[in-house]
Amino acid sequence: MITLRNVEKFYEGGYGRTYVLRRISLEIKEGEFVTIMGPSGAGKSTLLSILGMLDGAWTGEFEFYNNTVHRMKPKERVELNKKYIGFVFQSYHLIDNLTVYENLDIPLSYRNVKSSERAAMVCDTLDRFHIVGKRDLYPSQLSGGQQQLVAVARAVIANPKLILADEPTGNLHSSQGKEIMELFKKLNDEGTTIVQVTHSEANAAFGNRIVNLADGWIV
Amino acid sequence: MVSQDLRNGVRLLWNARSVSAVALLALALGIGAAIAIFSVVDAVLLKPLPFREPDRLVVIYEKNPALKKYKLFVAPANFREWQRQSRTMESIAGIVDTRMTINAGPSGGMDAEELSAERVSAGLFPLLGVQPIVGRAFASEEDLPGHANFAMLSAALWQRRFASDRSIAGKTIRLRNQSYTVVGVLPQGFSVLAPDVDVFVPLGLAPDAGGRMLTAIGRLRAGASIEQARAEMETIGASLESADPALDRGWRPSLFPLRDEIAGDLRRPLLVLLGAVALLLAIACANVANLLLARGAGRRKEIAVRLALGATRARVARQLIVESLVLATTGGALGLGLGRAAVALVARLGSTQIPQLAAARVDLRLLLFSLTLTLATGLVFGTAPAIQLSDLRLQEDLAEGGRGGTMGRAGRALRNSLIVAEIGLALVVLIGAGLLMRSFLRLRAANAGFDPHNVLTFRLPLAGGRNYNRERAVAFYDQLTNQIAAIPGVRAAGGVSALPLTGLGVGSTLAIEGRPLPPPGERPMGLARYILGDYFRAMRIPLVEGRFFRDTDDARAPLACIVNQTLGRRFWPEASPVGGHLLLLGLDPQRSCEIVGVVGDVKADRIQNADWPTYYAPYRQIQTSAMVMAVRTGGPPLSLAAAIQHVIRQLDPDQAVGDLRIMDDVVDRAIAGSRLDTALLAILSAIAFALSVVGVYGVVAYDVGQRTHEFGIRVALGAGRSEIIALVVGHVARLAALGIALGLAAAFALTQLMSSMLYEVRPRDFFTYAAISLILGAVALAAGYLPSRRAVALDPVTALRHS
Repeated sequence: MITLRNVEKFYEGGYGRTYVLRRISLEIKEGEFVTIMGPSGAGKSTLLSILGMLDGAWTGEFEFYNNTVHRMKPKERVELNKKYIGFVFQSYHLIDNLTVYENLDIPLSYRNVKSSERAAMVCDTLDRFHIVGKRDLYPSQLSGGQQQLVAVARAVIANPKLILADEPTGNLHSSQGKEIMELFKKLNDEGTTIVQVTHSEANAAFGNRIVNLADGWIV
Repeated sequence: MVSQDLRNGVRLLWNARSVSAVALLALALGIGAAIAIFSVVDAVLLKPLPFREPDRLVVIYEKNPALKKYKLFVAPANFREWQRQSRTMESIAGIVDTRMTINAGPSGGMDAEELSAERVSAGLFPLLGVQPIVGRAFASEEDLPGHANFAMLSAALWQRRFASDRSIAGKTIRLRNQSYTVVGVLPQGFSVLAPDVDVFVPLGLAPDAGGRMLTAIGRLRAGASIEQARAEMETIGASLESADPALDRGWRPSLFPLRDEIAGDLRRPLLVLLGAVALLLAIACANVANLLLARGAGRRKEIAVRLALGATRARVARQLIVESLVLATTGGALGLGLGRAAVALVARLGSTQIPQLAAARVDLRLLLFSLTLTLATGLVFGTAPAIQLSDLRLQEDLAEGGRGGTMGRAGRALRNSLIVAEIGLALVVLIGAGLLMRSFLRLRAANAGFDPHNVLTFRLPLAGGRNYNRERAVAFYDQLTNQIAAIPGVRAAGGVSALPLTGLGVGSTLAIEGRPLPPPGERPMGLARYILGDYFRAMRIPLVEGRFFRDTDDARAPLACIVNQTLGRRFWPEASPVGGHLLLLGLDPQRSCEIVGVVGDVKADRIQNADWPTYYAPYRQIQTSAMVMAVRTGGPPLSLAAAIQHVIRQLDPDQAVGDLRIMDDVVDRAIAGSRLDTALLAILSAIAFALSVVGVYGVVAYDVGQRTHEFGIRVALGAGRSEIIALVVGHVARLAALGIALGLAAAFALTQLMSSMLYEVRPRDFFTYAAISLILGAVALAAGYLPSRRAVALDPVTALRHS
């Protein structure tokens, strides 16, 4: 599903290049639940951004579902993101001035889904995540756990093949975190590939493979 | 404490220099424009007239509602009766406009010059409460027919022709070739209704003076109201009608406050301009309020800290208002500077059209106006951020790494409302200016009935000169027109008693020979024009049927006349007027003239006004004291001026020549008022347009900055470049659409007030409304598009970290 060969990311600075990722070669198969771990500054989130097509400034080769990403234009990469990927962030990143319903609707609106179908999909997802009662609330009216639940719901609503989660439980207390991880596990069992970045051994235990990063290298 | 707030205000201004610069520019433009327009309104409508108790002064005309005439000259007989019978008036004086040629001063002959003159009652100056600066006013015994050779000079004439000679009183000058004793000099700028009058002579009304030729000025008795005076004069008018129905059937006195008459047609345009400048100021305030709201959003934490440290909300609100007042006073000071420059410009450019404007100054009244305006604007735009910021949720705003994100929904709604208001207000001002501009273009393109290009005109007054008698006058003009026509480059030369677009001039009641004579008071009026030479060809006034005058239409031949199409259609709707006979009742009821031709209509006073029935008679048959020559040339008309003046001097070295100008200038002057209104409103609308566009840009740019995080999320969720642009521009489009809709509704209502200022353009002209809405909408979208490109260029990873 994902093949990275010699992927490097660096910044030009006054003293030459500062590398964030070095010669990353990695293969992720469909259906895997991969955990990326490592100390702060190891390049975990950067790697996740590259996998999610949010970062285009890197070198090396990247194949995704038989698409040679490194040869693609930014617009084409956005299309890959739309078609296959869902994101969950540590700080939820819900849009403050949209209701829960509207936040869930955003990914669908960017995928040209008809409005009648969108409504049905949003309602199904609200139901599936047991947040029907919250549909008209704004993010600021929800607890952190509830917000992350909405963020996960938003990540899966367009049926992505790959979910990228950047420290999804970082801002939650343990019981809420466990709930979210069980949700990921369930999604993985249903066939969704998951790549998560975490510091937590307990969360890593939900996955089936760990990739360790240190100073930009896979170790 | 306030001084601390003041220091804070100044520091904030300095720290946020770019925001301050935009805000100060908006304020300076808004306040400067308001000062400039208010100075005009003040000079024309508000400043007391330079007369004693001016509110008691009235102008009295005669009206004849059956003829739809409401401001016509007064018959001398009626004027005398009013003076005798009125109890509500302390005194009534009469004025007759005239022209007089001066050809000698106290020390002998001088270059002849035709002067603008007024014959006035001796009582006029005491009535107005005006004291001469040199000598004295007329004595009542000097205002008698046959004994009225006395003169008072305007200060301008006294300075120009008599070197401000303080001993001029008692000396003799020659006017109309007769000796006049100068009794005094009037104060600088003195005028009653007509501007720039050079010399005043006694009215010297003959007991049997006929016609309607006077304008009356009255002073209300202390305690009497104009309504009481109107009621009394109505009664007097009715009794005069029964006493002399031949003169007064249907005629009544008609009274207006002198101030309104002096303001004349200016009141409506000035009020419209004042309205426009108020809207402009509102746009500037909305703009600054929005900038302050944006700045305020960045200060939430600072304010939260202040509140946490024990400041009351009122204390915080005071600080914010003081800060905005610092901004307002700085903007006000800049605006005052701009306003002073604009007032000087308006006074210079507008004074030819509006004489009172010459006196427009930034005086104490205007300073007070500016100060009030400044404080009011400061309070208006300072209050919104104060209200918004005093409604903080302390915990959230103090929390480090809080969820941050965009400003609250209420804050956004307030800023959005201000943008909608700015666009709406700008649309109203722009539509007003657009309508005036379209009207002005139509006015310029309007066919006044003649071709003004390449025509040189000048006045030749004969009164008092050696060619004043009938035989000599005809011979003089004959020779003159022939010799001018022979100058190389001249295509045609002729003359007329009054040029088109310079006023209604002389008229007469008319009747058709062979038809029943209508009763007095119902007889139609027609304008009279006396012409010589090739006048019609020189002005390219088309001959519709019949013929032009011939040399044989002279004193020995039956009276001939040419009528315009309006007169022809009115009296001969189905047939040709040629061969018909007109009775010129005002001239000689026994004499009729045969219509020999019909020419096209020519606008007599204003292009906007309807055509008057007009008849033309040959100068050889009916003489007048002065003629205006019209010379059509092959090239630039002024290049032949010297050659023409040479011809005149050859024929009569003492002949005065006045008003030498090209006909294009005459047309220009006739539309100068509309041009001034249009230009001023166009400038205001350009400022309004710029302010609203800057406002939209500023708010959208700020919004994009605030929504960086949101855009990052959206990109992570799959939004493409076009979707982000659509999001930003779509938001602007919704605001612009709402602003335009509200602006259109307001313009629909407000432009009705402009209907009297428009020529051949309806106040709800679809084209203007549509074009301006489209332009404003498109520019607002462009102003929104530029910041949206910045949103698209954001690196989503960085954007996601931004909060």
